Amino acid sequence: MSLDQADPAALPAAGPATRKAGRAAGGAAGRRGHNRRAGRWWTPWLFLAPALLLFLYFKFIPMVSALTMSFQEVQPYLGNRWVGTENYSTVLQSDGFRDAAWHTVVLAAGQTAGSMALGLALALLMEGQGRRLGFVRSAAFLPVVVPIAVVAELWRIMYHPTADGMLNSLLGLVGLGPSGFINDPDTSMASIMITGIWRGAPYDMMIFLAGLTGVDRGLYEAAKVDGASRLQRVWHVTVPGLRSVFSILFILAAIRGLRVFTEVFLLTNGGPDGSTEVVMTLIYKLGLEQNRLGVGAAGAVLLFIATLVLTVVVHLLRRRESK
Amino acid sequence: MQRSRWIGAGVLASALVLTSCTSGPAGVDAKQNSKAPLELWTRTTPGGPGEKGAVRLAAAFEKATGYKVEVTAIFDDFETKLQQRAAQKNLPDIVMNDVTQLGAMHSQGLLREIDLDKIKNGKQAIGQGLDSGKSVDGKQYGLPYSAQASALLIRKDWREKLKLEVPRNWDDFATMAEAFTIKDPDGDGKKNTYGLAAPLSTKRGYASWYFSNFLWAAGGDFITETGDGKYKPTMTTEESVRAVQWFRDLGCKSKVIQPGAVTMETPPTNETFEAGRTGMFVVGPYLLPRFDETLGKDKYEVVPMPKGAKDATVLAEGGSVYLMAGSENMAGQDAFADFAISAEGQKTGMEGDTGFTVQLPVNKTVDISEVRPDPRWKTYAEIYQNSGRYAPSVPNWTPVRQTTAETVNALMADCGLDTGTKLKELDKQLADILKEQGIAAS
Repeated sequence: MSLDQADPAALPAAGPATRKAGRAAGGAAGRRGHNRRAGRWWTPWLFLAPALLLFLYFKFIPMVSALTMSFQEVQPYLGNRWVGTENYSTVLQSDGFRDAAWHTVVLAAGQTAGSMALGLALALLMEGQGRRLGFVRSAAFLPVVVPIAVVAELWRIMYHPTADGMLNSLLGLVGLGPSGFINDPDTSMASIMITGIWRGAPYDMMIFLAGLTGVDRGLYEAAKVDGASRLQRVWHVTVPGLRSVFSILFILAAIRGLRVFTEVFLLTNGGPDGSTEVVMTLIYKLGLEQNRLGVGAAGAVLLFIATLVLTVVVHLLRRRESK
Repeated sequence: MQRSRWIGAGVLASALVLTSCTSGPAGVDAKQNSKAPLELWTRTTPGGPGEKGAVRLAAAFEKATGYKVEVTAIFDDFETKLQQRAAQKNLPDIVMNDVTQLGAMHSQGLLREIDLDKIKNGKQAIGQGLDSGKSVDGKQYGLPYSAQASALLIRKDWREKLKLEVPRNWDDFATMAEAFTIKDPDGDGKKNTYGLAAPLSTKRGYASWYFSNFLWAAGGDFITETGDGKYKPTMTTEESVRAVQWFRDLGCKSKVIQPGAVTMETPPTNETFEAGRTGMFVVGPYLLPRFDETLGKDKYEVVPMPKGAKDATVLAEGGSVYLMAGSENMAGQDAFADFAISAEGQKTGMEGDTGFTVQLPVNKTVDISEVRPDPRWKTYAEIYQNSGRYAPSVPNWTPVRQTTAETVNALMADCGLDTGTKLKELDKQLADILKEQGIAAS
């Protein structure tokens, strides 16, 4: 293969000469045929070229630049200045980075688990073909398509911290509250998590629904014949049947969780008392609000590495499991 | 969303890599052409009344001087977009933006120094306005075109119903806030009103921005200049601590601040005042047109802030004209700055009922009552001249504002925290910021 590749690459420069040489080397016709076929090595690349070119310009070059910027003090007009790992230490040593990292992990774990549990429950409830089910499914899917800014405003109203607030009046009915929700450092994180689960669960539900169609109906019947209860059927048939769906969802949700920004930014911006500060809001403050793009880039690179590590680990675990 | 922003920043940087080989250092000596149209960027909502105001000002300038101006209104990510243009080494000629942006733009080398000898109307500028355009080294890099200060808005109908006087000191202020909270001023029989509206979110440093009105009046300060452009953190001085404690008591003890304040920036806070949930609000004049419409002009009054432990100092802010580096029409730049601060330019900027470019004039010869007979504007103008105080021109004010906002937000959100400890931590953080910016007093 590598030899074939080397050959045609030289072709356009000295076409006839090579061909002559090829013929002189003997095995004339067969060799030529092989050459012609090998000449198409670039055909797939030609088809890929438009996409690759776009990727190159809009993905790879910017990614490399971001990496470069993370080692620079970015001053476009004066010219960037190399600062080594200073940006990284700014991010890593900033007050609250450790807290923010911990909050991110907690939020990601909570939202992932909550969304998956709720999503699975919803999927089990809404599995089937009925037309009405289709309508209900669409309705349940709405939170995913509503713009996040609207979602945040909606929840801000629901979380109103006085006794006549929407959720607080419900809590009042059962003799609880009023809770400060996002305004109280003790409950703010849980409140944001609930908003995230509300938004994330229907998405998970859709993927679970797709996965459920792949579970062999015969297994349910067999389990039923064997006398398995409804719960046992879910636990021993459905859940194992959805294993690959779980791992895909886990990766997707974990990545989403690590990059969580918009809902936190809109609901609390990391407050009150830094109780909901996550890595992204911290990077936003250090990098973009203070107009230090190098610091922002360093934060992004760190987050990228964390996501990469997480994804690779999950992949390795999956591979080991399937072996 | 953020990722795409970084990608944008990445594109910007790659553009820089591509262009940096071809173009020399910032075109300070760009070939001059006095016919070249001036590109003007203003930070206001595109298509909004603010843009119309800027276009009107530009048209008046063109008529008066003959230079051509192209106005571009940008609101979201103004600074990032400016960075992109900086990467192309092709900045707009003029930028109209907040005074507090001076340090950040100057330290990035985006501004050219303004020679006041070439700005003949500069002598008519109000002193503190002119000073707000000086960088930490005392050179002029911005020229104010508009100013504003905070005043106290009070629900007049509530005050009269409860038979209270306009507050003269902070005790009166606290008493009124409490009365508005517990005495049911709207008479609906429900306990649903609060004394003071306060945006105390950390977003863009709102908590610090709002609190500065109280801190300075109490004689405290975030950071204090020690001479030669050096600063030291002063949030643990007796005055500062007392101011924090007093403000904190409003939220924690008498509970007169609207619930949810710690996650609110200005828009939801404005709504609490409009909806009759809060009775007092410390804000600039730009909200008057809005409140006149939603609440009604007769329902509220504008008065100066009552005296604190020291005086009645309030936060002054405003917009500046910045002349950007590398322009090919420096004469036109100077002419625009000169026009913006002239009596004619100021009056043009004040025209209209909403979205005017000039809030309060910065030209001594312009009497606001001539253009806006409404006496409330006069009140604002007097407050600005007598008690207005700008944030200091340090290289980057944003981190100072952010950090103090976080502490104020924490203290207001969690009434169990110890004020002294928290402020000591804040001082340490401020010291680090000052050191990083190279302005720490040793």
